[in-house]
Amino acid sequence: MSTISVHDTHQHHETFLSKYVFSMDHKMIAKQFLITGIIMAVIAMGLSILFRIQLAWPDKSFPILETFLGKWAEGGRIRPDFYLSLVTIHGTIMVFFVLTAGLSGTFSNLLIPLQLGARDMASPFLNMLSYWFFFMACTIMMSSFFIQTGPASAGWTVYPPLSALPKAISGSGLGMTLWLISMVLFVASSLMGGINYVTTILNMRTKGMDLWKMPLTIWAFFLTAILGILSFPVLVAGVILLVFDRSFGTSFYLSDIVMGTEILSNQGGSPILWQHLFWFLGHPEVYIVIMPAMGIASEVISVNSRKPIFGYHAMVYSLIGITILSFIVWGHHMFVTGMNPWLGGVFMITTLIIAVPSAVKTFNWLATLWRGNIRFTPAMLFAIGLVSFFISGGLTGIWLGNAALDINLHDTYFVVAHFHLVMGSAAIFGMLAGVYHWFPRLFGRLMDRRLGYLHFWVTFICAYLVFFPLHFLGLDGVPRRYYAFTEFEFMQKWLTVNVLVTWAAIVAALAQVAFLFNFFYSIFKGEKSTQNPWQANTLEWTAPVERIHGNWPGEIPTVYRWPYDYSKPGAETDFIQQNTPLSETMSSNMPHDFEGNVEAEEIQKAWDAENKIVE
Amino acid sequence: MEFTTAQNVIFDAKPKKFIVWLFVVSSTIMFGGFTSYYIVFAASKGKGHGLVLPDMFMYSSLVLVTSSITLFLASRALKNGEISRQRLFLWATLVLGLVFGYMQFSAWSALYQSGAALVNNNAAISMIYIVSGFHLLHIFAGLCFILNSLIGISGEKAIYKQEIASIFWHFIDILWIYLYVFLLLNS
Repeated sequence: MSTISVHDTHQHHETFLSKYVFSMDHKMIAKQFLITGIIMAVIAMGLSILFRIQLAWPDKSFPILETFLGKWAEGGRIRPDFYLSLVTIHGTIMVFFVLTAGLSGTFSNLLIPLQLGARDMASPFLNMLSYWFFFMACTIMMSSFFIQTGPASAGWTVYPPLSALPKAISGSGLGMTLWLISMVLFVASSLMGGINYVTTILNMRTKGMDLWKMPLTIWAFFLTAILGILSFPVLVAGVILLVFDRSFGTSFYLSDIVMGTEILSNQGGSPILWQHLFWFLGHPEVYIVIMPAMGIASEVISVNSRKPIFGYHAMVYSLIGITILSFIVWGHHMFVTGMNPWLGGVFMITTLIIAVPSAVKTFNWLATLWRGNIRFTPAMLFAIGLVSFFISGGLTGIWLGNAALDINLHDTYFVVAHFHLVMGSAAIFGMLAGVYHWFPRLFGRLMDRRLGYLHFWVTFICAYLVFFPLHFLGLDGVPRRYYAFTEFEFMQKWLTVNVLVTWAAIVAALAQVAFLFNFFYSIFKGEKSTQNPWQANTLEWTAPVERIHGNWPGEIPTVYRWPYDYSKPGAETDFIQQNTPLSETMSSNMPHDFEGNVEAEEIQKAWDAENKIVE
Repeated sequence: MEFTTAQNVIFDAKPKKFIVWLFVVSSTIMFGGFTSYYIVFAASKGKGHGLVLPDMFMYSSLVLVTSSITLFLASRALKNGEISRQRLFLWATLVLGLVFGYMQFSAWSALYQSGAALVNNNAAISMIYIVSGFHLLHIFAGLCFILNSLIGISGEKAIYKQEIASIFWHFIDILWIYLYVFLLLNS
């Protein structure tokens, strides 16, 4: 793509609309995704605080809730049906809007062209559409808070028949319809994004950038996009059938239902089939959430340890392994649906095998840190936090993957604790690591370090205080999504734990104020960044800080080496950027750097002899 | 300043065609979702749709295959530089596509009159409407691609437009044959 010469440039008039709103520049679209993602995250966090208040003090009245929520909190108490809406919309926003669109949308858009040496995405127009479909999806989802019957409340997995019968509960009415419309738009957005990412990575790399010279971030975004392309259409198929059941009277998921005294005419369908279609997307979806965060952590940990990533090839193969395995494990969400135990055994084995590539990644991160020249930047702390959460949440995954244990733990707080650590907190920490690390690349300024440290430590400690105790509730058999712990005698002893968890959640939420202030203040008033503030090797730091369309003035840099030449023995600096030719680093070249180029090896040998380097 | 001027990027068709291919992949998977539903449903209930499919589906399949041939002829005409022949065959494809759409509607009406309606307690029968309906939506998109090629027939992107129309149209042709054979075999 280096066919562009500066002579071809022509004056392009940018209006406010074309620059900030209907922008087709990948860097601006990345900012749009990031800021929308942050706003949605704040909303979803607010929802979680509301239901945490209900869980901690189920009998207490908070008149201020009624002031703000009106009929949803009559008498200052969250209503049971609204409680269900809160957990449903919290899950939907966090999984799809924050950790899928907010994470992939931001960093794939920002980094794919910049780290690969491309002028922009393969289709900037589709890229723009992708953002605006996402924006519409967010708006429609939020609009369901302003309708008479309230938002969808069948849980983020919207299992039928609850979701398929508009009259089942108030949240199954218009709120559920809006949920489905919003998700269809969201999937369209995701597909447009994912198709663009894969196409750009395969077709538009700069000269010298072969697949094995790509940073691990790009590998992660690439495989994430492939997962999305292969799994989201199945959700669309499932959603279409659900819409027909709801609105046209078909019986894809419905059979033998009595509502009140009325026997419904639907016969022959099966709600289990929805679960199959949903989890065929749903399980890959959790890897869509965590894999970009893993890629970001690999990059950030390597840069800030001043060491090459340990086991680059193993990191890539483990990502590929996770990608493939993630398609054959969906049944582990369905062990209690009356599944044939033999089939359950198959899903159990495939699930447990995923522990292998996950462990490879974890050990490689730890080995990269080992004896590194570590720089504890805020980004580095958040990347290490990801590793911590991934370990503590991943270990309980081995429990839950066992059908024999899962039948006891299914739908309890143990599951809630597990996935909030392994894909919730871990992915959010990966995203925050990315924000701190690439903020200078996005806005040309640095975020404040001290606020970053405050943000990290409070969030890290509080996240453990919130989610760790929930394991014990689960082991005791406390089910998720229950409205009030006072209703059941065996759950009452956990009320005090809920108070602790809620306070920890409130403190964690307050810590995000430090982040929000830091983020928005630094956009305008932060310290000006140099071009390569972290002394990193990848191509995005060779582009000028000024925002230009096309990323590099003149020629796009050529790539000569992999992205992890940190602290290379014999080199003058502890980093060598990817666009530095081997001829400029004669003192540090290794035999394998030449990849079988005999001529170059001869030149190196001659240089070594001349400079009396003993082999 | 030089940095702020937009660069006039030369049009590169290769990545854009790749986008169409990936769309084909994701669309295939959506239909894979429908047919998987059908297979699991039929296996667990021990019954499929149990119908003799209306003959109209066979005739419409023939029309769709013919439209693929006319589109292929249009591509060949473009390669030989015969724009008027290309235009003729594109129009033929467009008309055949519309005829296909009409025939699908009459197949549905035949199904409906035989008592196999969309709203049905046998979800396998409802599925016939779903897959053929969503296939017809793809035909509509394919017609847009062909119109796009017709409009830009003498423009500089003519080859690219013809190519993406071909990729997509042949895909929906093969997709329909798959769906039709699937429904025939799983009655």
